[in-house]
Amino acid sequence: MSADVLLSVKHLRVAFHTRNGSMLAVDDVSFELSAGQVLGIVGESGSGKSVACYSLLGLVPTPPGKIESGSAHFAGQDLLQLNEAGLRNIRGNKIGMVFQDPMTSLNPNMRVIDQLIESLRQHQPMDKKTARSKAIAALEEVGIHNAAQRANDYPHQFSGGMRQRVMIAMALIAEPEILIADEPTTALDVTVQAQILALIKKAQVSRKLAVIFITHDLGVAAQIADHILVMQQGRVVEQGPKAQVFERPQHAYTQKLLAAVLTSAKPYPAMTEKTDPVFLQIKHLYTRFYQPRGLFASLFNRNLPGYAKGINDINLTIHKGEILGLVGESGSGKSTLGRSIMQLVDVHSGEVLLQGRDLCQLSASELKGARRHFQMIFQDPYASLNPRMTVFDALAEPLLTHGFADRKTVLEQVHQLMDDVGLDRRFIRKYPHEFSGGQRQRIAIARALALKPKLIIADEPVSALDVTIRAQILALLLELTQKHQLTVLFISHDMSVVRYLCDRIVVMNQGQIVEEGDTETVFTAPQHEYTRTLLAAIPQLPSAKASVSD
Amino acid sequence: MHELTMMQQEEGSSLGRDAWLRLRKNKAAMLGATILLLLILVALLTPWIAPYSYHQQNLLLGASPPSAEHWLGTDVLGRDQLTRIMYGSRVSLMVGFIATAVALIIGVLWGAVAGFLGGRVDAVMMRIVDVLYALPFTIFIILLTVIFGSSMLLLFLAIGAVEWLTMARIVRGQVLTIKRQEFIEAAVSMGLSRWQIIRRHIIPNVLGPIIVYTTLTIPSVILLESFLSFLGLGIQPPQSSWGSLISAGVDSMEEYPWLLLFPALVLSITLFSLNFLGDGLRDALDPRTSKD
Repeated sequence: MSADVLLSVKHLRVAFHTRNGSMLAVDDVSFELSAGQVLGIVGESGSGKSVACYSLLGLVPTPPGKIESGSAHFAGQDLLQLNEAGLRNIRGNKIGMVFQDPMTSLNPNMRVIDQLIESLRQHQPMDKKTARSKAIAALEEVGIHNAAQRANDYPHQFSGGMRQRVMIAMALIAEPEILIADEPTTALDVTVQAQILALIKKAQVSRKLAVIFITHDLGVAAQIADHILVMQQGRVVEQGPKAQVFERPQHAYTQKLLAAVLTSAKPYPAMTEKTDPVFLQIKHLYTRFYQPRGLFASLFNRNLPGYAKGINDINLTIHKGEILGLVGESGSGKSTLGRSIMQLVDVHSGEVLLQGRDLCQLSASELKGARRHFQMIFQDPYASLNPRMTVFDALAEPLLTHGFADRKTVLEQVHQLMDDVGLDRRFIRKYPHEFSGGQRQRIAIARALALKPKLIIADEPVSALDVTIRAQILALLLELTQKHQLTVLFISHDMSVVRYLCDRIVVMNQGQIVEEGDTETVFTAPQHEYTRTLLAAIPQLPSAKASVSD
Repeated sequence: MHELTMMQQEEGSSLGRDAWLRLRKNKAAMLGATILLLLILVALLTPWIAPYSYHQQNLLLGASPPSAEHWLGTDVLGRDQLTRIMYGSRVSLMVGFIATAVALIIGVLWGAVAGFLGGRVDAVMMRIVDVLYALPFTIFIILLTVIFGSSMLLLFLAIGAVEWLTMARIVRGQVLTIKRQEFIEAAVSMGLSRWQIIRRHIIPNVLGPIIVYTTLTIPSVILLESFLSFLGLGIQPPQSSWGSLISAGVDSMEEYPWLLLFPALVLSITLFSLNFLGDGLRDALDPRTSKD
């Protein structure tokens, strides 16, 4: 066992010292990594999983960060004792890194080929020509078609998945022994995620690479890792071979994490019948976005055909009391459809009939009054709350605007809303930044419910949340839907969430609806090719699907 | 009971109340505010507390260094420097605050409306700003003086007309980034009017840069006034302002350094106080900077 140990981390402790006190981000973390092994580090945000790995390469900013103690032996030296020059020799050369967001981890002003050559020649002296051919070979290896030509493109000319491939090529080009991948698929669509995971796996096998794969997604970890390390609040709570951790989890936290993974269908039968009255009907809805064309074009030439993607000819019916799931990948138009119903974007043509009334035809003032009947819960609870408004202000605003309360009764109503979503009343004077993501989403839900709407459009309300928090928020949504008899359009890219929550599913691709049906029917007998691809790409836990290991 | 009293104070926004509580804890900002208040108080009371009259000359004395009778010395005509600085502060502070306030109100509203409405409205509004920017300032001032003569009101107008342009641009840029945030969409979907959104959601979130730019504008306006006075708009001798005292001081810097030193010192103190107060205000208005 110890013969082929490549990296041995012992008793690593990293602390952050700020004006507001010190915090131990990584507390006594030890693990070993052997050649050819894939170690999955799993944990929720703030668990210290990234900090632990970044500190090995000196990538934790010091101050405020400080490595308190520990050792990390790699190739006969202690990484934690190396100076900056020594670390530079390791980074990219012996240990490669892939980051989460492929949009920001490449330099937007440099051709892809130049970035590859730069990182190659940093570590291995060679002439430009050799470097160039090596770089192109590296791009070919990660599956970039037409690599010789595409190498001269800039990062923005690649899609998210392609950019992540370029990142991987860059991390692997100097032929490192270890690859650290920090949530490399989190920003990607599920079908693209499957491709990237396969690519990393392939490179790992062919190069006998050791990989540290940091992720919050147990399904992804199960798919790629041999060894699993579970972190919580800076500590390792459990580690072991994949099968052991997933099938016989020892620690309560691991069990909780696994329980929060939604593998089953809805916990109660659908409440609605097909005979329920039609609540929302959408007919031939088109929404298009016009490309910005500069001042003079927009002032003087209004007829330039500059529009790009949007949604095309959407027909949809939502029954009263139903939870309808709208799934699709980024760019499929699912959010555009939600915003079109909300009248947040200009609809090109078509009808949105809410209980028979066409929302697109309302005048501006009629629409303001009607808005209280349909409300939205947004994806990012960090961006959807005004940072300068307290909970009270945020919840009182809709109540006062629509005359639901006056100055005397508003406090009582705000308290009731907070009780409804399980927020402690004492937090009423706090600002959004003082809450965690889950609590913020509760505030956002309370705000959407303030006007007692009949229709809620929830745009990816749980995708920014940790898995255990996600389970709580979903349970809350279900409870509130029943209590207030809401009709919900639930937009999500996550099939398992939709399966858990929704009565019926609509699948969108490239601005059009490709499949529609009852949740279980869509999952068990998908009709459209695209739906099948989506379903096949979902990472599964070993217990849910026996044949994952390869 | 406690909740009730909090509710009664609620009338305005709780952001304002919280900001005041935070500002009070910031020592540098409170020092700056105190100095500014003192300066304003002295300016208001000058006619009653000034040791001499601002035009009282003593040619026998000439330019003399600080002494027991004239604490900050006298200028070449033998006029008391302290008195002239005190009278000057009336003009300079008034110009500084009023002209900046004019620039602030027009600039913030113009920029916020342009940025929030966007599209064609934005394009037209910002092109107006560009055109005004391109106007040669000196010629504009001389024209104003020729047509309307010289008056303080005109001085405010002239300075306000120039300074709001930059403010409008800064605010518009900030609004463009804020308005794409989801909480603005949330406000729209709640049925708030455009004006409510601008007032309650947009302006509070662009206050930081506005305040910083304001604290930079006030001293530059105070200096601009001396240039305008030189062109014949604004105050005329024997009246004084900090700007005119400094430019007079620069001319005789080598022979009589105190004529430059003291007005410049007062202006610097004002500038520092403004910056401390501005920084404090910016931090106080951002709930995220405080952790408790």
